[in-house]
Amino acid sequence: MSDRLTTSKVGLSLAIAAVLVLAACGSSTQGAKPKTYTGTLTFASFNPFTGPDASFGPEMAAGCIPAANTINQAGGVLGHQVQCIAVDTRGDPADAVPAAQKMIASTENLVGMNGPSSDEALATVPIIDRAHLPMFADSGQAAFDKSTYKYFYRLTPPDDAAGVAMAIYAYNKGYRRGAAVFGNDLSSQGNVPNLLTAFAKLGGQIVINQTLTLDQSSYRTEVTALVAASPDVIFTEADPQTDAAYLSQLQQLHGLIPVIGTQPTVQPPWIKAVGGAVGRDALSKNFAAAQPFSTSQGPAWDVYNKALLAAGSEVPQPDQWSQDPYTETDYDAIIIMALAMLEAKTPDPSFYNALIPAVVGNATGATEVHSFKEGMDAIAAGKKINYVGAGGPIAFDEYQNSTGAFELIGYSTNGSNPQLAVVSAEDIAKLRR
Amino acid sequence: MQQLIPAFGFGLITASILAIAAVGFTLQFSVTNILNLAYGDIMTACAFAAYLANHAGVNIWISLVVGALFGAVFSMLLNRLVYFGFVRRGTRLFGMIIVTIAVSLIIQNLLLAIFRPTFFTYEASQGPSYQLGSMVFTASQLAIMGIAVVAMVCVHLLLTQTQLGKAMRATATNPGLARSCGIPTDQVIDAAWLVSGALCGIAGVALVLNTATFSETTGAAFLVPIIASAVLGGIGQPYGAMLGALTIGIAGETAAALMSPAYKDVVAFVILIVVLLVRPQGILSEIAAAKEVAA
Repeated sequence: MSDRLTTSKVGLSLAIAAVLVLAACGSSTQGAKPKTYTGTLTFASFNPFTGPDASFGPEMAAGCIPAANTINQAGGVLGHQVQCIAVDTRGDPADAVPAAQKMIASTENLVGMNGPSSDEALATVPIIDRAHLPMFADSGQAAFDKSTYKYFYRLTPPDDAAGVAMAIYAYNKGYRRGAAVFGNDLSSQGNVPNLLTAFAKLGGQIVINQTLTLDQSSYRTEVTALVAASPDVIFTEADPQTDAAYLSQLQQLHGLIPVIGTQPTVQPPWIKAVGGAVGRDALSKNFAAAQPFSTSQGPAWDVYNKALLAAGSEVPQPDQWSQDPYTETDYDAIIIMALAMLEAKTPDPSFYNALIPAVVGNATGATEVHSFKEGMDAIAAGKKINYVGAGGPIAFDEYQNSTGAFELIGYSTNGSNPQLAVVSAEDIAKLRR
Repeated sequence: MQQLIPAFGFGLITASILAIAAVGFTLQFSVTNILNLAYGDIMTACAFAAYLANHAGVNIWISLVVGALFGAVFSMLLNRLVYFGFVRRGTRLFGMIIVTIAVSLIIQNLLLAIFRPTFFTYEASQGPSYQLGSMVFTASQLAIMGIAVVAMVCVHLLLTQTQLGKAMRATATNPGLARSCGIPTDQVIDAAWLVSGALCGIAGVALVLNTATFSETTGAAFLVPIIASAVLGGIGQPYGAMLGALTIGIAGETAAALMSPAYKDVVAFVILIVVLLVRPQGILSEIAAAKEVAA
């Protein structure tokens, strides 16, 4: 009995050891050979293309497509042409999880991706990370501020930083009584906690905090409660139809008051919906929105914008994305992954992933490059590179986040978005929880 | 608490739209026994038809008629070309539900492909505001409520005062018996789809007038309250659907006034569940049956 017990214990120990060794081998690339690729490499735009946040997907694809075109024009990556595919998450984790699994299992030569968005990031980032697929998320969730996922990168600020930027701008404009009017979706609610805290810390007061059920036919009762609280400014993010209904009903019952939105409120669908509902004149007089600050100028932006405008057959109305910081960073993400592949001499994500920070690292002696072509030539010449993107300089922290300042922009009836103010990263950091 | 009366007024507007939609939904169900889950998407398609007319320079109220006509014809053709084939093969209720879900997705994605993923607005003014006690209504909201009242009266007269209405009720009660009594049930069913589709079209345009903007998913998002109103009133009972719409519409708005807007749907659907626990047949089914209104 004792012998049998000892034998089975030894057997069990050996089995555990074998499993651990196999697991260790599986998680390491040391000694392993990169996968061989034939044919076109694929980057996915993993975002909502339908559903309440359907505007996110086209915004992301508008970054991927010109990036792929510039890479292909330069000869491709290690002899491979590249392409972008759209993977629709519908903005819902229940749809996004099977979409992620299907994308990973069935997409040939999938080597990297943009996304996920805040709508589906919590559910899908672990799946994508386990598949060893580098992802440049446009999720603003604070949960990823200290991400330990090896394949997770973020070039845009977290949602809660936008809330702080909105609070600072409002306070500087003299508003002291704020109304928080946000949709009940994950993406919108991500802004709220820091907005409330920051506005209070500055000396303002949130007189009403409303969580809107999306896409209702009427918000008049909510609007009546808002008017009764007498705010002098509204902070908002909700899907276009919700904000259009809410603000048009506010206009009917009381008249508009100043509105400060987040980045989704400067996207064309939101502007079209709300501008159509309240009138473009009224919108231009009452509206500002916080979005990640990008200079939208400089050599990398010039390359991006030229490629974007040339992609008119693939990107509807490409000029609408020319100054969109999310599209700019989605473009940068593809270029960064392609340059990391060159550094690693393989498109195999398990190998090139570790070199992603290196291509944007401002190491001593690194050559500053502004396009895939410049980076490719520098790498071929044996130089270290520092890619400065269309969205500006990139510097990953230890959690692979690269964030910066915010700008507040307005809306003009001619369709442009004049800059109203810039809120520095330092000012935001002081007020973030 | 002082927001309660205005909320009641706002609830009346929502209830008016819901009533038009729910009566159309339940009337068609009572006659054809098809739970048409594509109803919300047909509302959206009608809203788009009205949008095209409106942006071609047609007045919004005439555009509403265009939407209603489109809904009537589209619904009848949908039955003739799609649903009827399944019914003839003996597809049961559950199978038909799956077919209607498929149709719903087809319509939604067709609209998405044709009109692209963006938002649309009618060229229409809300008109001046009128204060009725503590309640405030715009001219267009009063018009929507007026249209709802007229539509309900018309449905009532149709069901109680016309041969067609009697034929509908007979077909709803026992189609086989109705056929053997010489009632042309196929034509009656066509008429039910036409009437239901017209109400669907009116509801679609009224919904968009209320929300100010719309996209390809707007009607589908409104389907759950429509079904809830129909079920609450007693599925297949047009008068019940009117009462159900009033209950759901007003409950949601008053909940938003008394509690947080986040509980708007929660309260409305808790009421639905509680009522169905007490009266599984819905509010008005017995009354309707006694008056021989519908099924």
